[in-house]
Amino acid sequence: MLAAVLVLWEFATWFEHPEFILSPSEIARHFVEAVWSGELLPHVGASLGRALPGFALGSLIGVVLGLLAGVARSLDQLLSPVVFLTYPVPKIVFLPIVMLWVGIGDVSKILVIALACFYPCFINAYYGARGTSRIMVWSGLNMGARQGQIFRKVVVPGALPLVFAGLRVALALSFILLFSTEMINARSGLGFLIRQSESSLRFDLMYVGIVAVAVLGYASDQLLLVIRRRVLAWQEAGR
Amino acid sequence: MSAWWLGLASGFRRVALLALGVAVWEAAARSGLWSPLIVPSITRIGQELWWLASRPESLIEAWASIQRALGGFALAAVVGVALGVLMGRSALAGSVLGPVFSSTYPIPKIALFPVFIYLFGIGSLSKVVLIFLECLYPIVVTTHAGSRTVNRVLLWSAANMGVSRAGILWRVVVPATAPFIFAGFRIALPIAMIVVIITEMISSADGLGYLAMYSLASFKTDRMLAVVVVIACLGVALDRLVVRLRDRLVFWERLESYYAE
Repeated sequence: MLAAVLVLWEFATWFEHPEFILSPSEIARHFVEAVWSGELLPHVGASLGRALPGFALGSLIGVVLGLLAGVARSLDQLLSPVVFLTYPVPKIVFLPIVMLWVGIGDVSKILVIALACFYPCFINAYYGARGTSRIMVWSGLNMGARQGQIFRKVVVPGALPLVFAGLRVALALSFILLFSTEMINARSGLGFLIRQSESSLRFDLMYVGIVAVAVLGYASDQLLLVIRRRVLAWQEAGR
Repeated sequence: MSAWWLGLASGFRRVALLALGVAVWEAAARSGLWSPLIVPSITRIGQELWWLASRPESLIEAWASIQRALGGFALAAVVGVALGVLMGRSALAGSVLGPVFSSTYPIPKIALFPVFIYLFGIGSLSKVVLIFLECLYPIVVTTHAGSRTVNRVLLWSAANMGVSRAGILWRVVVPATAPFIFAGFRIALPIAMIVVIITEMISSADGLGYLAMYSLASFKTDRMLAVVVVIACLGVALDRLVVRLRDRLVFWERLESYYAE
C-alpha cells in the first residue's frame, strides 16, 4: 500500500507540478547527499539532545509518582486532583512562561517536553497501579511479603502494560513538542532546519528534514516496542 | 448521599489546592525577589484578563482559535469514525488501511506543516488540515479497536431478526463502539488544542497562540499569562464538554478511568 502510494507519487511528478513538490527518488537522493555532506547529522544530534532528556525526565517522574499515587492514598489525594484538572490544558502554552524563567535555550524546551510527557505517564501508571489484582496482593501478604516487596513484585509488574502504553503516548508527544518548539525558536535541530529551509526556498533540504523526522519518530517507537516485548515477555506482544 | 458528600469533599479539596497555588504565586510576586516582568502579580493578571474579556478584538482572537481547533477536530471525528468502523467491520479495508495507519502513526505529522503552508496557504486552511491529520490517528485507532470487539451474539441476533447490513452498522456496531469512539475523542481534542496553539505560535496573525507569543515579545508578561489562563480554561472546558456528551450518549456504561473520582 505504502509502496503503491510512493510509485503513484513518483509517476505524478513526471507531469507538470509546482516547484515545492519533489519526487520520492529526488528526496531520497538529497537525503543521502545531506547525510554524506554532514549537513543533517548535527541537527539530528541537537534534536535528540532535547527530546531524550525531556522524555526521560518527564516520563520517569510521571511513572514513579503515578505508581506511588496509585498505591498511597495520601499522595493520591494530594496529586490526583491537580493532575486530572490540568490534564486537558495544552502544555505548549507553558513554553512562553518557561522561556521567560529559564531563558530561550535548550533548558526551556527540555522542561516543556518533560511537562508534556509527565501527564500520560502519570495517568497510565496511576491506573495501572490501581488496577492491581487484590487477590495477588493478599496472597503476597499471606506468604509473608513486606510492603516494599509487594510494590516491587506485584504492583509494578501488574502496572507495566499500562506504563508502556503511557510511555508510547509520551514519546509521540515529545516529538510533537520538540519540533514545534524548534520551529518557534531555535538555532539548531530538525524543526529549525525544516523551517529555515522552507523560508529560504530550499525545498530539497526541507524534505530531507521531514524524512529525518519521520525516520526518528518511527525508529524510536519501534525501539520502545522492542523493549516492551523484552520486558513484558510473559504478555502477548501487542502492537 | 455519601456519593454527593464525597463529590463535595473532592471539589472542596480542588478549590483549596487552587487557592493555595494562587496564594504561593502572589507571595512570590510580592516578595520582590523577582522582577514583576518575570512573576507578575495575580491582580495584574486579573486586570489583563478583564481587559481581554472587555475587548471585542480579543474575543475574535479566541473565536479564531476555537474555530480552527473544532473545525479540524469535527472533520477528523467524522472521517475517523467512518474509517475506523469500516476497517473494523470489513476485512478488505482493514488489511489495506490498517498497515498504513499503524506504520505512519508514530511519525510526528507536525513536521509537514511547512509543506501544508505551501499547499493550502498560510491562513486557516493549513492549520485545520494539520489538526485534522493529527486528530485522525487516535480516533481511527480507538474506533478500529472498538469495532472489532463488538459482541458477536448481538450481530448474529440482529442479522437473525432480518436487520439489513447498514442497519446493523448503525444500530449495533456504532452504539457498541461508542465508548471507544469517545475515548478517541478525549485523546484527540487536547491534541487539537495543542496543534492550534502551536501553529498559531509558528505562523499566524490571529488566534490565542499568536496573542500569547506577541504579548511575550512585547514584554507584556501579565497579558501573556492572562492568555495562558484563557487557553487552559478553554482546554478544560472542551474536555468537560466531551465528557458530558459521552455521559449523555453512552448512558449505559459509566466512565471508569480518567476522572474516576
